[in-house]
Amino acid sequence: MGSRSAEGEQVPLTDEYDALISTTDVELLKRAWRNEKAAPEILRFESDLIIRVREQIELMEETVEEKSTVGTDPLSVSLYQMDLDRTLFLLRSYLRIRIQKIEKYMFHIRKTEELWNRLSKDEKFFTERCTDDLKKHLEESVLSTLPENYQSYERQSVISEEVDMVPEPRLDTFVLCRSKEYLTGIQLEDGPVDDRSKLFEMEPDVLYFICYKSIKPLVESGKIDLL
Amino acid sequence: MSCSGGCHLMCSPVKILNMYGRKACQLVKEFASGEKGQLTPFNNDLFEQVVSECSQHHLELQSLIRKMQEEGLDVQTARNADHYGALIHLFSIVRNKRCLTAYVYNRAETVRNLLWKIGPVLPKEIEEKLNHWEEEYFKKHSAALKSYMSKALVDLTVDMVPPKDPYIQVRVLEDIREGIVLSDDKNPNFARHSMHFLKRTDAEKYISRGLMEELTG
Repeated sequence: MGSRSAEGEQVPLTDEYDALISTTDVELLKRAWRNEKAAPEILRFESDLIIRVREQIELMEETVEEKSTVGTDPLSVSLYQMDLDRTLFLLRSYLRIRIQKIEKYMFHIRKTEELWNRLSKDEKFFTERCTDDLKKHLEESVLSTLPENYQSYERQSVISEEVDMVPEPRLDTFVLCRSKEYLTGIQLEDGPVDDRSKLFEMEPDVLYFICYKSIKPLVESGKIDLL
Repeated sequence: MSCSGGCHLMCSPVKILNMYGRKACQLVKEFASGEKGQLTPFNNDLFEQVVSECSQHHLELQSLIRKMQEEGLDVQTARNADHYGALIHLFSIVRNKRCLTAYVYNRAETVRNLLWKIGPVLPKEIEEKLNHWEEEYFKKHSAALKSYMSKALVDLTVDMVPPKDPYIQVRVLEDIREGIVLSDDKNPNFARHSMHFLKRTDAEKYISRGLMEELTG
């Protein structure tokens, strides 16, 4: 990675190096992982990125295997191995956080089209199985023992006008975030009603502690990173 | 709760114990006061009592509605004493239902988390705390997760903490004789109290089952 930037002309090395580093797939994965970790709701599955990362992991595994059979010195093999382990951890942790979010809000995700469309094919299948299993569990343990009009897992009773028993993530929690560029016109969704009409602006590279709901669209479009 | 002072003229302590929704509240409190992530045995006795309270409310609700119908009142619009009486029964059922569901739902969440913390094989002392349905649910959910992992070609149960070093020092706590699978195809002797230098990913599964401990420092 470093060698490529050195080949170029005499541009400030560190800038170019930073720019290059920040667009490697591992770095992108780290960003996706951080966002997913900090966001209260499930974000869009980074399918293309994950495919590329998986390919790279395979390559790295081949390299490690090759080097260790050839008998390269053990220190450099273990450095390659460590790099591989870190990438693998990021991938696993990214997928795990998503799966655990699905476990927590499965009913809500399954019935909300916007969230449902953010899942990967495997995640959709998992969510379907999970919701079926938990629904069955609730029905067998509780709902079937109740009088007829109260057996829904989503509604308190037949006279409930809407779904009123499905846990949802709290979008009004506060998150730490940072923007790369100057952003303006952010409508705050919390605080006293009088203040809400004021628009909020964000300086680049400054940390803000802000209500997730207010910046939700900017997180989804990738303009703001969560920490 | 006991009544003190002059209050006994209005209500005896027994009445208070029978207050609608009290038992369901106890059930939820029992779960909430437990240590997070830990299960207490499923309180079948209290659970059944709340369920039968619901049936009782339902019967009384129906009989009040029947009474109103017999009196020729429109059940939707009439606002007499029976209407409000019926409402109280309705709200009691709904509240009890919420408590019962919350009890089972939150326990189910803890049961799922056991899968992450301990793995698909539960030690006997924990398994005893699950009721029959929860055992079934644990098995099914564990199968669902397994199927996801085999499709997605990753094992999500290892690598729970960010790796610092690919290798760690471990001590074997109990003899491990069978089913030793290491990524380098070696076949070490995991005798009790022996110490090894292993790949972290290999050691994690033994550590989570309590068969090894990591030596730090």
